[in-house]
Amino acid sequence: MLKVLLKKQIAEVFRSYFYDAKKNRMRSKGAIAAWIIFFVVIMVGVLGGMFTVLSLSLCGALLQAGMGWLYFLLMGMIAIVLGAFGSVFSTYSGLYLAKDNDLLLSMPIPVKTVIASRIINVYLMGAMYAATVLLPTIIVYWIVGGLSAAKVICGLLFMLMITVIVLLLSCILGWVVAKISLKLKNKSFITVLISLVFIGTYYFFYFKATDFVRDIVQNAETYGNRIKGAAYGLYLFGRMGEGSWAAAGICAAVTAVVSMLVWRVLSRSFLKIATSNGAAEKRRYVEKQAKERTVFGAILAKEFGRFTASANYMLNCGLGILLLPASGVLLLIKGREVCETVESVFSSRPGCASVLLCTMLCLMACMNDMAAPSVSLEGKSIWIPQSLPVEPKTVLRAKTAMQLILTEIPVLIAAVCAAIALPGTARLKIMLVITALVTAAFMAMFDITIGLAMPILNWTNETAPIKQGGAVTLALLGGWGIIVIPGILYLLIGWRIGAVTYMIIWSAVMAVISLLLLRRLDTKGAASFRML
Amino acid sequence: MLIIEHLTKTYGEKKAVDDLSLHIRPGEIFGFIGHNGAGKSTTLKSAVGILQFDEGKITVCGKDIREEPVACKRDLAYIPDNPDMYEFMSGIKYLNFVADIFGIPASARQEKIRKYADIFELTGDLAQPISAYSHGMKQKLAVISAWIHDPKLIIMDEPFVGLDPKASHLLKEMMREHCDRGGAIFFSTHVLEVAEKLCDKVAIIKQGRLIREGTMEEVKGDDSLEEVFLELEAE
Repeated sequence: MLKVLLKKQIAEVFRSYFYDAKKNRMRSKGAIAAWIIFFVVIMVGVLGGMFTVLSLSLCGALLQAGMGWLYFLLMGMIAIVLGAFGSVFSTYSGLYLAKDNDLLLSMPIPVKTVIASRIINVYLMGAMYAATVLLPTIIVYWIVGGLSAAKVICGLLFMLMITVIVLLLSCILGWVVAKISLKLKNKSFITVLISLVFIGTYYFFYFKATDFVRDIVQNAETYGNRIKGAAYGLYLFGRMGEGSWAAAGICAAVTAVVSMLVWRVLSRSFLKIATSNGAAEKRRYVEKQAKERTVFGAILAKEFGRFTASANYMLNCGLGILLLPASGVLLLIKGREVCETVESVFSSRPGCASVLLCTMLCLMACMNDMAAPSVSLEGKSIWIPQSLPVEPKTVLRAKTAMQLILTEIPVLIAAVCAAIALPGTARLKIMLVITALVTAAFMAMFDITIGLAMPILNWTNETAPIKQGGAVTLALLGGWGIIVIPGILYLLIGWRIGAVTYMIIWSAVMAVISLLLLRRLDTKGAASFRML
Repeated sequence: MLIIEHLTKTYGEKKAVDDLSLHIRPGEIFGFIGHNGAGKSTTLKSAVGILQFDEGKITVCGKDIREEPVACKRDLAYIPDNPDMYEFMSGIKYLNFVADIFGIPASARQEKIRKYADIFELTGDLAQPISAYSHGMKQKLAVISAWIHDPKLIIMDEPFVGLDPKASHLLKEMMREHCDRGGAIFFSTHVLEVAEKLCDKVAIIKQGRLIREGTMEEVKGDDSLEEVFLELEAE
């Protein structure tokens, strides 16, 4: 029974490699092979390669200092973070929100078998990511530190232990998220908040990693003694990797006890959480005076409702809303210095700081591409706008307006900050703001045009149009490609006419193209929407 | 109220609807019967303006659906076979959305929402997100959203699927009341007993072609509608 369930679970995880959700059919053999190669390259080449380099930089130095255990402790921690914390939400959804929970629970399958199959699946996923750190860690250690029976056996035990810890942490965190989520009202906003904190922390450590590694290698003894004194368990954990039988025995015993406790908690609470409909406390309807809206206002409000209801949508298509004001604040602090540096680097291209600053703001504005998947997100509800007495162009304009509102306000904030920081005339500052605003408007037209040209309406998971759709990819990468052109052109020839004139021409071109796209949307676009 | 003339719609090589003509008059409940894949939904969707058809003409209250789609849609309401609605909205937000599109004044819409939500015992759930609704609750919401703007013509695809017996009974009463007030209803169904009792007129479609149409008496004579339908299907 467990084997059958596990087979189904794994087939589901790797389904996207064999099945094209956009075209609603199986992939060709060539496409399957390409996807698998891509996966291997990412896992082994990129992640594995990155951690091999890290292992090489840490292992030799720490072994020389007699701190081999610290090497295992550090790499083990990285493996745990990568394996567990990165998959908290997927563990939660995999364990408790699986769409076939009801179906399986209605079959003559013991609940514990269902949980076990889900947990093994979580284990395999976590182990796969952790292995990209652990395999280089152990192999590098065996090469640098030499081989012995104890090192090999304890090294493998260390690897196994880490994967179990990854599983335990994933399950505990998934359970906590499930418990919290049952009580939350604004789940999507909280998910966005947690994800942003996670992304921020990730990048903070990513940029600090080199300093961090250097610091540890230089002060290995000091840090080692501190950890040994304050958290002896961690020391034992690291020693296990080095080949200490006693440490391996103690760590294995502790892990086994914790595993049993986690299993107990999960098996007791699984049924209740998995069969709950996920809704927070039922909201009672209290009649209020309805607010009348125009047709356009109603559709625009619906678009905003769709955007704010999905953490996935907000995170993938609205990052510019936060990045733009944040970069504005940064420009107020460091802007003048940056502008002076840019001007001195390109001293033969006067005025380039303003144009490049404007290009940078526009690139960031491109990260707001909520209009691109908005047509696809209609999905099976497309019958609503098509059967209601609404002009298709009104629907498309409302989708565009959402992006305009959500982008133009942050662009205005960032551009005003940039204008304050930018040394130069008032005309230059005004043109910087206008150009950024007009370009952001062009991006909204561009994104909705692409979204309409490449719709996916038969999705079963909204990630398909939001993250994997061709429209979103083209909107982001194509947008960047378009925005970079004026910046490069200025450096090549545009500087000859001066930054102000150049930005006037840039704005005028963008404004004309935007109007042409708007006209096309109202005519051909509306006809396409009607035909969807 | 609704005139379909020589409607033809093809999907690739297959003719889903082939030269179909129907006339639904004010005051009529018109049932549309056929096996799975006979072309019922295609006809209904074409009449609503969701599907573009190859040949023929459809007029709603005298207006051509191709030439004046928005004007036609102002006079009709449509309930699909599977009410996939905006799951991120609450029931009340969805009803207000539909009311806004039809320009229903706040006081009038509130009165309608109160009336129909009470009838279908949905009032307590209106603040809940639609994603938390059962199939039957979604169907009830779709019915309320169709009735909220007093359409002249209501087009429904399998409207009784998912409704509990009480809600089905209420819907039948509402359909009759609507037609008694001069409106018209065009709906597809597989429940022949319901069609027999409820419909003034009925049309039977097979492989995209109309094979029988008329008043209930004309179509079934002394037999039951089920017997006639099965006989025609076997031919």
